[in-house]
Amino acid sequence: MSSLITLSILAILVLYLGLYKAKNALLPATLLGLAGALVLAVLEWNGGAQPIYSGMMLFDNFAIAFTTICIFSTMLILLISKDYFESISEHVAEYYTLILFSLAGILVMVSYHNLTMLFIGVEIMSVSLYILAGIRKDDFKSNEAALKYFLMGAFSTGFLLFGITLLYGATGTFDLTQIRDYVIANPTGISPLFYTGITLLIIGLCFKVGAAPFHFWTPDVYEGSPTLITAFMSTVVKTAGFAAFLRLFLMCFAPLHDFWMPALLVISLLTLFVGNVTALYQHSFKRMLAFSSISHVGYMLFAIVALGVNSSNSVFIYATAYSIASIVAFAVLILVKRQTGADNFDSFNGLAKKNPFIAFTLTVAMLSLAGIPLTAGFIGKFMMFSTALAEYHIWLVILAVLNAVIGIFYYLRVIVAMYFKGAERNEIQSSSYFNFVLGFSALITVVIGVYPGFISSLF
Amino acid sequence: MSISLFYFVAFLSIFFALLVIFAKNPVHSVLYLIVTFFTFTIHYILLNAQFLAIVNFIVYMGAIMVLFLFVLMLLNLNESQGTSKSAIVKMIGVIAGMCLVITLVGSLKALHVSDPLVLQTQDLGLVKNLGKVLFSKFLLPFEVSSLLLLSAMVGAVLLAKKDIKQA
Repeated sequence: MSSLITLSILAILVLYLGLYKAKNALLPATLLGLAGALVLAVLEWNGGAQPIYSGMMLFDNFAIAFTTICIFSTMLILLISKDYFESISEHVAEYYTLILFSLAGILVMVSYHNLTMLFIGVEIMSVSLYILAGIRKDDFKSNEAALKYFLMGAFSTGFLLFGITLLYGATGTFDLTQIRDYVIANPTGISPLFYTGITLLIIGLCFKVGAAPFHFWTPDVYEGSPTLITAFMSTVVKTAGFAAFLRLFLMCFAPLHDFWMPALLVISLLTLFVGNVTALYQHSFKRMLAFSSISHVGYMLFAIVALGVNSSNSVFIYATAYSIASIVAFAVLILVKRQTGADNFDSFNGLAKKNPFIAFTLTVAMLSLAGIPLTAGFIGKFMMFSTALAEYHIWLVILAVLNAVIGIFYYLRVIVAMYFKGAERNEIQSSSYFNFVLGFSALITVVIGVYPGFISSLF
Repeated sequence: MSISLFYFVAFLSIFFALLVIFAKNPVHSVLYLIVTFFTFTIHYILLNAQFLAIVNFIVYMGAIMVLFLFVLMLLNLNESQGTSKSAIVKMIGVIAGMCLVITLVGSLKALHVSDPLVLQTQDLGLVKNLGKVLFSKFLLPFEVSSLLLLSAMVGAVLLAKKDIKQA
């Protein structure tokens, strides 16, 4: 709770800093505040959490772990925001404020204990993102992204809200514990309203995380938004969406596994194939990352399909690995785009000769996204597949491995472009912030890949 | 008396809702939608939910529908637009509609009369009780939604404000 309060106050403080034209203080103040929120969250670890505020929130270890990774990823993204927002317009303070508000919504989403809080958390996050997607006001694509995201997001919120209403109609409560008690107390006589409610909630949440067949907004929105915002959306927001998804199903719907499992199984497979096969045909690196993020949603859905004690752990590791690798990819994309003005694969040609460090970190990130051993991505995929195998979803794992092979193909295209295709280009000037984020993220990726023990046994 | 009133108002709701879809002129469609919302307001009053009735009356019938009308008038839609559809689109529409019918029939089969729900407190929907619940049990969601409003406000100003072009 204290980290949520810290974040809200920080956002308002940053707004005031912008009012008094304290441009240089914005980034340090934001980062300091985020670090404070991070420390406050970690301090509550194993604190024997009880639901607070009439059962509205519950800061258990699950919530703290996901809060930590979300705040940490945001810090990495904000570190590369130096000079980025300034190039868009001079309202930099508002951009930071909106990101912080969005993060506050995410904190509510990962720690809710009442469906009203889930709804408000999702809305706070989404409203800030609709605006952030459209901050390049002169850019047609950015406008399109914002409008599309807004319409689709509002539509999906309708499903979510209707699902919540039906659950309330069936159980008479919004509280997660009481809903679980209802499910356990009525093993046979569960109201049809309840089943409809679950289905609508699945649709709403799949919209939010961008799982097929509810993924149509994802590529356009991710491509049109400013790259830094895309990085935020495809890492932090996705992690939060999954945390909310998993929390609801772990706490309430686990006994009804047989009802919703087939639907999610189909969604998961469809997401894998749509994401991977479409990513193969992309020429733009940014659009490829958008489709690859769809395919990673498919892998992460495994944890919910094979719901069990290991699910939170595997989603946590997968989300960490995926977020950190994606941040590297987007950071390099920002650098390359700043130099060449294009984001297709050809603009990466010959990068290894001029900027060996940047090329190396991007290689590590791509290998991690592809799931090659000795990187964090491999550990994430390994945990997901073993979770699925533990529930005897053998065909699911076989098809997923097939998809992982497809994935390797398009991730390697970037590496091939950087190392084996020559092109006349100048050295990219990257600031020390960028170098720090790139090096640090690559280091974490390798460390988790070599020694996963220190985060794999958290829960 | 109250039951027959309910059925009458429910009939009006469905009747005007159908008119919304069948009206050719978009402006007429919006006007029917306003009437539909008005019948909803009567429903809420019948259910003794004063607050919802007032909010529905002011926000939906007043603010949102006026916005709707403004947009329609700005767009200047004609009756002729949007009526020509290719055969494939019609086919897809028929298939989707049939799927919906099957789903509806299937769910009607599962339908049964539920136990009448007796409200523990009859005046639950009064403004006074709603306020009490909002400031006791639902205090946190109420306060946190201030973040939502604030971020929406910041965003609206940010997007609407004219950028000063640097020379």
